[in-house]
Amino acid sequence: MPSWPTEPVYIGKSTQRVDGPEKVTGEARYSSDIHNEGWIYGMILRSQWPNAKIHSIDLSAARNVPGIKAAIKVRDDEFVAHYYGQELAAVAGTSKQACIDALLLIKVDATDIAFVVSEETAINPDSSRVFPDFPNIGEPKVRENGEVDKAFAQSAVTVEGLYATQIQMHHCLETHGNTAHQQGDNLTVWASTQGVFSVRDGLASNLELPQNKVRVISDYMGGGFGSKFGPGVEGVLVSRLTQKTGLPVKLMLPRYDEAKAVGNRPSSFQKIRMGADADGKIIAFELNSFGTSGFTSGPSTAGGGGRAGFPSPYLYNIPNTRVRQAGVAVNTGSSRAFRAPGHPQASFGMESIMDEMAARLNMDPLDFRLKNDTHDSLPAEIRRKEWKIAAESFGWKEKYNPPGSSKGTIKKGIGLAGGTWGGGGRGTQAECQINSDGSVELRCGTQDLGTGTRTLMAIIAAEIFGLKPGQITARLGDTLFPPSGGSGGSTTAASVSPAIYDICHNALKELGEVSGMEDPTGNQWFAACRKIGIQPLIVQGRWQEGLSSRGVGGVQMAEVEVDTETGFIKLNKVLCVQDCGLVVNKLATESQANGGVIMGVGYALYEERIMDSLSGVVLNPNFENYKLPGAQDMPEIEIILMEMPERGVIGIGEPVTIPTAAAIANAVANAIGARVPTLPITPDKVLAALGKVPNKPADSLAGNWGDFDQKLNWSQYSPTQEEGGGH
Amino acid sequence: MKPFQYATASSADGALELCGKNDQFLAGGTDILGEVKEFVSNPGRLVNIKNLPGTREIVETDTGWKLGANVTIAEIAAHEGLRRALPGLTQAAAKVGSPQIRNMGTLAGNLAQHSRCWYYRHRDVQCLKNGGARCYARESENKYHSIFSGNPCISPVVSNMAVILAALEASVNIRRGKQTFDIKMAEFYMVAWFNPYAHNSLKPADLILEVNIPVKTRSCVYLQVSEKSDFDWALVSCAAAGDLDGNALKNVRVALGAISPMVQEVEDANSFLEGKELDRRTASMAANIILEEAEPLEHNGYKVPMARALIRRALFKLAGINLERETS
Ligand SMILES: Cc1cc2nc3c(=O)[nH]c(=O)nc-3n(C[C@H](O)[C@H](O)[C@H](O)COP(=O)(O)OP(=O)(O)OC[C@H]3O[C@@H](n4cnc5c(N)ncnc54)[C@H](O)[C@@H]3O)c2cc1C
Ligand code: SF4
Repeated sequence: MPSWPTEPVYIGKSTQRVDGPEKVTGEARYSSDIHNEGWIYGMILRSQWPNAKIHSIDLSAARNVPGIKAAIKVRDDEFVAHYYGQELAAVAGTSKQACIDALLLIKVDATDIAFVVSEETAINPDSSRVFPDFPNIGEPKVRENGEVDKAFAQSAVTVEGLYATQIQMHHCLETHGNTAHQQGDNLTVWASTQGVFSVRDGLASNLELPQNKVRVISDYMGGGFGSKFGPGVEGVLVSRLTQKTGLPVKLMLPRYDEAKAVGNRPSSFQKIRMGADADGKIIAFELNSFGTSGFTSGPSTAGGGGRAGFPSPYLYNIPNTRVRQAGVAVNTGSSRAFRAPGHPQASFGMESIMDEMAARLNMDPLDFRLKNDTHDSLPAEIRRKEWKIAAESFGWKEKYNPPGSSKGTIKKGIGLAGGTWGGGGRGTQAECQINSDGSVELRCGTQDLGTGTRTLMAIIAAEIFGLKPGQITARLGDTLFPPSGGSGGSTTAASVSPAIYDICHNALKELGEVSGMEDPTGNQWFAACRKIGIQPLIVQGRWQEGLSSRGVGGVQMAEVEVDTETGFIKLNKVLCVQDCGLVVNKLATESQANGGVIMGVGYALYEERIMDSLSGVVLNPNFENYKLPGAQDMPEIEIILMEMPERGVIGIGEPVTIPTAAAIANAVANAIGARVPTLPITPDKVLAALGKVPNKPADSLAGNWGDFDQKLNWSQYSPTQEEGGGH
Repeated sequence: MKPFQYATASSADGALELCGKNDQFLAGGTDILGEVKEFVSNPGRLVNIKNLPGTREIVETDTGWKLGANVTIAEIAAHEGLRRALPGLTQAAAKVGSPQIRNMGTLAGNLAQHSRCWYYRHRDVQCLKNGGARCYARESENKYHSIFSGNPCISPVVSNMAVILAALEASVNIRRGKQTFDIKMAEFYMVAWFNPYAHNSLKPADLILEVNIPVKTRSCVYLQVSEKSDFDWALVSCAAAGDLDGNALKNVRVALGAISPMVQEVEDANSFLEGKELDRRTASMAANIILEEAEPLEHNGYKVPMARALIRRALFKLAGINLERETS
């Protein structure tokens, strides 16, 4: 069985990024930076209608604009554009302005269809329909364990709550897009992507090209968060434009379009009931929820990964549970996987009602967690330790006061929440080239999303060869290299690390044979390599069992100050305690945790896509009104990595963003003694929760969807699934 | 954006000559270029006025301060003399947008900026203010809109500078055709109160030359609440200026932004405060007078308590007291 070195030089320590200097000097060329003389631009015409029958699209005037080289339609037949922002046509031209001018001249003959963009409206039977043949909301998926009704009847305390989470946008700082160039039979695409191979295969099948004629490159990319696995409509369009013109065409989406069509985190509307016995052990749980993942979120797609369902009951060990979840279609762009799909929603609802229950039981929320976080699973076992580590470092017991007991106008509060994630590695191949001068090149068809994958590869090779990470050249992001999977699900580190381990050990064996040295590492390296001769050593290898694992816990604690007259929330501190097995690069791992917490802060306090029910458009397709947290909004972020090297490599990208929003929400509720049950928690909602807003009772926040389960008669549906919680 | 002409003026006369009915002045461009790019505004010509002589100076005069039209917000925020003499002005400037916006944005541009209503600024929506048939905000997403309005449009004044300058009783010096005249800050948005198509009281091709503050020094304060800590518009902003004679308030003026198409000033509140001892009750009563006739809509009712808190805090701040940190 392979195993990681027990006394590593680099693994587990902090190594600066090997490509850091290129990035900060601007030398690193991201997909959106790559541009050469003679390359032309592409742009997409999108539907201005939230729902419309598109009869015809006339491109003739657009084609006559000086500089325009091609104009194409997405489809030739009549079709329905289901949401504001759906792709209709595309143009390619010698300047961006020529493209803008051309888009203005495209004539679209369309007929409006009634639309619905609000989930709360769409669930009503009399709502207009996204698809005429189906109701917007279908049958819920139902999971049931134990005897729920009996357990509620036996509960000493029962609490009920309505919670909702918003649509969050990915808004990667590098927008979606590609440059494509068709030369003869060969299509080369520079893509901003999380999966060079998935883009290659997607393009090949869409364009009916053999996979060996498509090459996808992604040297540096500026964030994906789950929204950049496939080529997308924009990738197919840019490829068609290069095929048509024979010229390289660059098509990066404008920021504005990012808000319409390239993914988001589904919303959730959760009605939760929980029952506990007098000792504070939860015995009964019921969740009814719906949410939208956009226009395709109809009856057939409820539940599961990137859709509107989420794991429930989350984390805690409850013997009697009933969960019913459905997706509701609205006329908006589709969701895509988004950093820890489902989990932040799950955590927010669950941890909110947990605190409500703890308050009713007069229990410290930490003690209440410890009492109920009792699943017989490794993540739960780890989390039980993490609660204690966190409490100790945060000073939870000293700081905790019952909800609403903070004095003065500006009130302090603390909150906590937990999470869980799978991660783990899977098939990846890689190769290593060792030259006679001792230089080393690693090649792997993975991609570096900004998470430090290049550096991770270099660290492992340096460790095994006894060299420095800076001496290793790590290449990735190219389908000419041996294949790896998409960078999603927190799997990259755990997929790539074992493959690099394997090639390096294979290489050592070969180098030993070539050089006749028993140990060609470290000081012997260059002497050994000189024996290689002019034909470099090229050694392959692949992912091996035993060097990675899956399943993590994670807990976070937050401290806030809330101004009860203005509703303004100042986030003072977030503590993140996270395990991820063997830490390869401590600096990059902490960086991931920082990023996860920051994203969670945005989810908790600022970010929300706003759809307008009157016009059907996205009202805030910009960073002025889609509010991202800035430097001044950042709390002190403390990270404690719970290292478990014996487990091997496990990813960390996703778990670290899960509990943040729930912990902040609980801290706000603890400060003011009232709960804002919907994200983001903005000043207007805080004032309403405090009963200070005229014409708006504090409990009106939940909207008018609270009895949806009765209206839709959900009790008629019987269980179809067994598992679905997250431990 | 659509094609437009571009011209640079080197004198006020030249600027007026270059600027026809369908043209617009261009200063820092942070506001107008956004409109042009989104097809919200399609000027025939942009007339660059950044080089007009004498418009980039901050001068202390015998009676107060003179701020040139093209002084940037960053220059105001960084001016030591202003910081000592009129701290509220510095506070208001420092809260405008981001460093980039403050570096490029000018004072005249800040006062003359157009509506930030998200329907008005949307390229695929045509609302009343932009020649369409209806005010969308009234019926739909009005969280950031006015709680007072004299017309169907509820897009509020969002200029930080206007709010503090109103409290300081500043006036704006304007060139219209051959004439030059002053209008009080209080009147600068009057037309927008009545007229849904107006952003302020300027007529096409009216050129702001300078802003005059009639006092050399004054106790004054500017406060705002936003959703974010920085680089965010005010949900409500409030300025107060005045003197304290012992504990008695004198010549106090309170002004609010982001709650009305014009800067919200209520004379009755100012006169109510005259000579009163500063205490919580007095401050609350002033707030009641100012907000009495508010008509909040579905999503902006929170502005009423928020404005009340800011009025009370601003008044106490004049006396150097941070009300929110006091234990009552
Ligand atoms: C993202 C963002 C955030 C912002 N946040 C804030 C904020 O928090 N608080 C705040 O107060 N402001 C804020 N602003 C507004 C900003 O302060 C203004 O855009 C800026 O001050 C305008 O000045 P400018 O020189 O760039 O004007 P320009 O864009 O050049 O012009 C704006 C308008 O004023 C007219 N104009 C300019 N100069 C004159 C003149 N001398 N005479 C007559 N008309 C003239 C122009 O014709 C145009 O209509 C923000 C703006 C942006 C883009
Ligand atoms: S508030 Fe004014 S600018 Fe906004 S939608 Fe209504 S009319 Fe248009």
